[in-house]
Amino acid sequence: MELSPYAQGGWRLLGDPRRFPRRPFAALLRAAFRSLLDDPQAALDDPDLKDIDPTVLKHCHAAAAMCILEAGKQKADISAISTCLEDCKLDKERIEQFCTEYQKMTFSFSIELVTVVSSSIGRSPLHITDVSWRLEYQIKNNQLHKTYQPSYLVTLNVENSDSGSHPDVSFSCTMEQLQDLVGKLKDAAKSLERATQM
Amino acid sequence: MLLVLSAEHRAHLGCLPRAGGAAVGELGRLALEQLRRGAAPRACESAARKLNISVDIIQHGVEGLAYLLTESSKLMISEVDFQDSINVLGFSDELNKSLLQLYLDNRKEIRSILGELAPRLPSYHSLEWRLDVQLASRSLRQQIKPAVTMKLHLNQNEDQTAQVLQTDPATLLHLIQQLEQALGEMKMNHCRRIVRNMK
Repeated sequence: MELSPYAQGGWRLLGDPRRFPRRPFAALLRAAFRSLLDDPQAALDDPDLKDIDPTVLKHCHAAAAMCILEAGKQKADISAISTCLEDCKLDKERIEQFCTEYQKMTFSFSIELVTVVSSSIGRSPLHITDVSWRLEYQIKNNQLHKTYQPSYLVTLNVENSDSGSHPDVSFSCTMEQLQDLVGKLKDAAKSLERATQM
Repeated sequence: MLLVLSAEHRAHLGCLPRAGGAAVGELGRLALEQLRRGAAPRACESAARKLNISVDIIQHGVEGLAYLLTESSKLMISEVDFQDSINVLGFSDELNKSLLQLYLDNRKEIRSILGELAPRLPSYHSLEWRLDVQLASRSLRQQIKPAVTMKLHLNQNEDQTAQVLQTDPATLLHLIQQLEQALGEMKMNHCRRIVRNMK
């Protein structure tokens, strides 16, 4: 498992007892884990961290978070993580502290949570989250009277992986067109079922 | 319901008897072409020369006929109502008959042309789909994440747009369930009653 030079720099700072005495070190580790798992705004405002220079704090927090994510991404074991942190000149005790926290996370939260975070990073097409529909019966319009036709208005709620929200995709269709659409979706679902059985 | 013709319309149509029997057929054809493709001054000029009538009369006749056919088709008036409406013009029986025939023969086509003028939302054209499994990404290795990628083709005002969308298996099943419910609604008694009573 390898870390970028930026992350390695952050860990070297973290390993320095003059910059990071025991309590701040432990506080920063806690903050890094919490910010990835529960609360993105977490706790760089821990009182134990108030004496640390803010730029250094940010650098080290980023380095710790990158190490957690990289370990999750590669499904690294403890020996791989230890080796990586040794290269950053961290002493044995601090390496053990990190590994203990990491293991606590993988056992109690289960590594799934980090993979959920990691799998939500990245680009993907607009993602459909829900659908709403409306059935109407057209009677007349200003160009044509006595039209007498049912029509559906379907709205697909979509989400953008980058910005979260996106204007919904709406379209109208006749009953035949909606049947065509539902037929195709059912084909997709059937082939999905067959694929999972293979 | 009867068609109400303004004085101007009546004046335009008043040219018809002067044009003569054969001319009416020609004018009818020109009126339909105008509805299908828009005004064609050249065609009017050549018709004027062929029939030996002035261009003005031809043009008025074409406009009058176009209006008569459009309004009648829009309102979908019955044969009887059509005949009563044109009676006020005082034409000969033969002319009335030709006009009625012109209306009945072309009503459906005119209605479909008028239908395209109505305000419209983007409408469904077709859907393509593809089953994908994401195996890895820059931020996470060794994944198995199934997804359905779709290309939704829509028509908007004669342009076709295609939008690429994705969904997961659970949402796909939810979509199918919701849309099947939507289809089922037309078969419910409530909708059937309304459709029956609105004819």
